[in-house]
Amino acid sequence: MRSSKGGGMTEFEGPRPIRPEDIALPDGYAIEAVATGLTFPTGVAFDDAGGIYVVESGYSYGEVTDTPRLLRVEPGGGTRVIASGGGRNGPWNGVVGHEGVFYVAEGGAYEGGRVLRVNPDGQITAIADSLPSVGDHHTNGPVVGPDGWVYFGQGTATNSAVVGEDNASFGWLERHPEFHDIPCRDVTLAGVNFESTDPLNGGEATTGAFAPFGTPTTEGQVLRGRVPCNGAVLRVRPDGGAIELVAWGLRNPFGLAFDPGGRLYVTDNGYDERGSRPVFGSGDYLWRIERDGWYGWPDFAGGRPFFDDDILPVLARAPADPPDPVAAFGVHSSADGFDFSRNPAFGHVGQAFVALLGDMSPPVGKVLSPVGFKVVRVDVDNGVVEDFAVNEGDTNGPASWIGSGGLERPVAARFDPTGTALYVVDFGVMTMTERGPEPRKETGVLWRITRTGAR
Amino acid sequence: MGPLVLASDGEQGRTAYMKYCHQCHPGGEAGLGPSLNDKALPTFLKRFQVRQGIGSMPSFSEEQISDEELDDIMEYLKALRNHDGGPGR
Repeated sequence: MRSSKGGGMTEFEGPRPIRPEDIALPDGYAIEAVATGLTFPTGVAFDDAGGIYVVESGYSYGEVTDTPRLLRVEPGGGTRVIASGGGRNGPWNGVVGHEGVFYVAEGGAYEGGRVLRVNPDGQITAIADSLPSVGDHHTNGPVVGPDGWVYFGQGTATNSAVVGEDNASFGWLERHPEFHDIPCRDVTLAGVNFESTDPLNGGEATTGAFAPFGTPTTEGQVLRGRVPCNGAVLRVRPDGGAIELVAWGLRNPFGLAFDPGGRLYVTDNGYDERGSRPVFGSGDYLWRIERDGWYGWPDFAGGRPFFDDDILPVLARAPADPPDPVAAFGVHSSADGFDFSRNPAFGHVGQAFVALLGDMSPPVGKVLSPVGFKVVRVDVDNGVVEDFAVNEGDTNGPASWIGSGGLERPVAARFDPTGTALYVVDFGVMTMTERGPEPRKETGVLWRITRTGAR
Repeated sequence: MGPLVLASDGEQGRTAYMKYCHQCHPGGEAGLGPSLNDKALPTFLKRFQVRQGIGSMPSFSEEQISDEELDDIMEYLKALRNHDGGPGR
């Protein structure tokens, strides 16, 4: 294991202590635990009557599988199962309630991604399927737009477009050796190839971008784009039908939200320092999405070329000049689910509240101190990021690292329909060990933040 | 302690800091790079590090970060160092 000081590099012996007083907030706000003992929760939603629901993922990095579930959170904190996913096709990455039904992103780690419509009686219908989602990153975070379409993110198969040994350690290369990233539009390759050891057959392998493991590419090779594709925001009508491309050139667009003016924003998990084409020093980003926009993956980070000149572009020419991000988050912070404040009673109207899951160092790259593990507030007009909910203490980190009863790994933040309460989904404890990520079942928490008085 | 209150150059410095520095030194704390909010390093040395780079930190030219932006970033770092860091700190 590489030397690092990431927040997951700690020991954990359950049960997880829950102490809201160990979490610091700006003056005038309070936090409480609404539900505890959840297993890998990733999203929160509400019905038209204000009922609270969470999804449990059913899959976690570390190749731990369980049953994906939609749960109703009862008064008092108990839960009732509304719907369960079959098989091992999690993770269920996010949920949204809209006009009496729920939409869930089924990550599809084993069988491909889907977007599911779930009725309150538990009936499940796929409104999008066969999404290219059996790689590193999955189908994420559905949200319903002002136009009534269901928008969702589709992550990339790989870190930076090249299948390599790191994908074997994720577990999927052996299951799907033919899988690779799919561009949304036609691209022309530079013909840059990468040597690695071959974890499937032994010996060495040469692999190009957007190609199966062990398949080199050539300069000038044109790849035809198609939809569905990887590294994209896509949309589908609520009753299904053709999937449309909204934006591409993203890496792992995990969180999606519309601001009060109806503009779409996404959080995007930046590159890792791993695999055949490692990228050092890439942050996570918040993007304002323009229709058909291209955001730079796999040759740009945060709208700029890589600092490291040794990382050669894999595209012969960029499809467009990528825009600047709205905001940047810490390298490896894992900026995930978020929402915009809409109610002056809560404050900060028009600003984004973003959950930072926290680093998974060292496999993704080294850090000098834990990064993330908090909820931040973003002024989307100037890109300023400020802590909003963070564990008490002199050093940032998850509660298990600090030794407190506060936040572990916030993965989603969403306001209730009144806009007066911000719910924070805390994935729970996930430590990093010699064996890889070790997520702990029944350590997830749903927190609620409300404003208690004048600031 | 309350929120960080900044003069106008500090506000501009915060915006520039968020664009160029926050990713590796989130909020002035350690992350990919070391913490900056507890360092008594002279300003001229910090400027030198930004212009020349050090270790794995890249250098930033005047075309990338103007002298004026760098001045503002230094003002923001001073204010950050004199503050408790916001909630939790």
